[in-house]
Amino acid sequence: MIEIKNLHANVNGREILKGIDLTVKAGEVHAIMGPNGSGKSTLAQVLAGHPAYQVTQGSVLLDGKDLLDMEPEERSHAGLFLAFQYPVEIPGVSNSYFLKAGLNEIRKARGEEELDSMQFLKLLKEKMKLVEMEASFANRPVNEGFSGGEKKRNEILQMAVLEPKLAILDETDSGLDIDALKIVAEGVNKLRSPKNAAIVVTHYQRLLNYIVPDFVHVLVNGRIVKSGGKELALELEANGYDTIKEELQQTA
Amino acid sequence: MTQSTIDHYRNQFAAFERNGARSAPAWVHDLRRKALERFAETGFPTTALEDWKYTNVAPIARTEFRRPASSGDVTKDFLEQHRMPGTAQHLVVFVDGRFSPELSSVGTLPDGTFVGGLAAALSSDDATVKASLSQVLPFELNPFAALNTAFLYDGLCVRVPAGTSVIEPVHALFVSTAPVASAVTHLRNLVVADEGASVTVLMSYLSASEGAHFTNAVTEVLARSGSAVEVVKMQRENGASYHVENVRAHQYAGSMVHLFSLALGAAIARNDMSVIIDGEAAECNLNGLYIASGEQLLDHHTFMHHIHPNCPSHELFKGILTDSARAVFNGKVYVEPEAQKTDSKQTNRNLLLSDTAVVDTKPELEIFADDVKCTHGAAVGGLNEAHAFYLKSRGIPAEATRTMLTVGFAAEATEKVRHTALRRHVDAAVVEHLKSKLGSTNVPDIVHGT
Ligand SMILES: Nc1ncnc2c1ncn2[C@@H]1O[C@H](COP(=O)(O)OP(=O)(O)O)[C@@H](O)[C@H]1O
Ligand SMILES: [Mg+2]
Repeated sequence: MIEIKNLHANVNGREILKGIDLTVKAGEVHAIMGPNGSGKSTLAQVLAGHPAYQVTQGSVLLDGKDLLDMEPEERSHAGLFLAFQYPVEIPGVSNSYFLKAGLNEIRKARGEEELDSMQFLKLLKEKMKLVEMEASFANRPVNEGFSGGEKKRNEILQMAVLEPKLAILDETDSGLDIDALKIVAEGVNKLRSPKNAAIVVTHYQRLLNYIVPDFVHVLVNGRIVKSGGKELALELEANGYDTIKEELQQTA
Repeated sequence: MTQSTIDHYRNQFAAFERNGARSAPAWVHDLRRKALERFAETGFPTTALEDWKYTNVAPIARTEFRRPASSGDVTKDFLEQHRMPGTAQHLVVFVDGRFSPELSSVGTLPDGTFVGGLAAALSSDDATVKASLSQVLPFELNPFAALNTAFLYDGLCVRVPAGTSVIEPVHALFVSTAPVASAVTHLRNLVVADEGASVTVLMSYLSASEGAHFTNAVTEVLARSGSAVEVVKMQRENGASYHVENVRAHQYAGSMVHLFSLALGAAIARNDMSVIIDGEAAECNLNGLYIASGEQLLDHHTFMHHIHPNCPSHELFKGILTDSARAVFNGKVYVEPEAQKTDSKQTNRNLLLSDTAVVDTKPELEIFADDVKCTHGAAVGGLNEAHAFYLKSRGIPAEATRTMLTVGFAAEATEKVRHTALRRHVDAAVVEHLKSKLGSTNVPDIVHGT
């Protein structure tokens, strides 16, 4: 699905990603954990094509295609989706208009027919039910005045509507109470299939009780310093990142 | 200023006084004559004056504008297109500067309320009108106001007695048909809300033809203690025309005034909007949106005068510019020494969609009280990069992203219109305008948060 090799990236001339290697195959869920400021969001944003980050080295292939060569919208058309850690508010434009515009572009790119308003509204209704969002959110401006939890839920709604091949969830669990967390996890799990994959960025082990990952990676200071199975998350929860940092210093 | 310009308007004035203007009471004739003398002294402003530095009105000054002797035709279809759809409203129609009883439809009004033409109110020598006209906006303040007052004849007149609410909004349509070459209308509007009264007014300035014309309007708003007045102006005149309006509100204790200016049309449009906050705990909201394209020049000069303590004032003007358009925003806030606890916020944001568009923005704060909260901010820039990235990450292409973010930028201004039906009408006009100016049929309807 995605093959990241020796990825280096800068922001404002400062190197944040210092050589990331990560391969995710179809059907897999990978968790990325790591302390604050280690570069998790930077990795997510670089993959989605945020213009503030410059890739200085390395390559990323999505289904064999050069991801780094694509515009952000082309990456979306190619099946990539990022649930933002901090979704922005777009005034004036309704959630449903915004989602329909995106979905139809993605469908066009996939060679599918565009949905008309009726078809889209039917789909949207279903998906809103899935993430337990009230219907009124469809006609409100995108994320405007939404609570933190509502914004996160809206990200999952978008994911559910756009049906990406590879979803990257950047701390979608932070700031959510346990009920909301379950809904978000359910949304992700419903999309899990042998054809799709997900990268779940999280700070806490909590979410991984509900979205059980196949692999866990620990990102520290712009590098993946440790990888393992789902038990690695529990280990981190128990010991914190300090043990890993110490291990690193000893081997260094 | 050449003597011939002054002579032209003197000749026009003599003809005006001989013709239709005669029925007015003597004090009106007096007022007009004084105003003409004032205009003869000053002439049209030039860019040598600080207030007119960025807006050159020479194209107005060098044209010999004349009042049309009669009004042109406006079709019912045209009115249907421009009235607020699906909303009951007191429709007051003016064609080429004259009230049209046939085209107007004013519903049942509360006792003592008047909604109609100023000419009618003047010929009946209405006491309130006599006491208010030219009191809010002394014509000495502005040469265009002086010229307007010299040719003062008709316009919207709304008078609401104490404690009375006019439920349905008043919608004045000022339609220019340009029945003669270089036609000018000096519309004179007056809105008076007595103690505790409330009223909402929409003023639509429109062209029914492509002919060039000049609108030189003055709107005076008098909001007595405890009243609530909203006046929304929509300027959609054709691109060959000139538009100048002086709007001035005088508000008293505990009153609430909302003014909004939507500037879309005209080749050159200059809006002077002032609010005199003359009583404690009076709230003033002065907002606007301008969308300039082609070679248009859209200018807003605003002035808020805080005289008494404990008054909040909010001001947000946003502008969208494309092509080689220009915009001017000058926001003056004057806080008197007695006006403690003033809470005033002014913001001007401009979205430039081309490299050749130009904005001149200038806050002018003069604060003489020490215990106040006064903030101001001005910004000129392109689309918000974080917002654009978010949309693109959902598959939305660059072109559609630009359209959606432009609409969103506009929406943040139009949400300041308080009355729902008026806001919807303003939103629809903005969307229609953006469709033609952005060259995109896919412009989303504006929605607002709760
Ligand atoms: N747009 C940006 N501008 C400046 N610094 C940034 C930007 N994005 C990230 N950084 C910096 O990069 C480092 C990694 O941040 P981030 O990727 O957000 O970490 P994480 O998501 O792991 O908490 C931090 O030091 C952060 O300040
Ligand atoms: Mg982060």
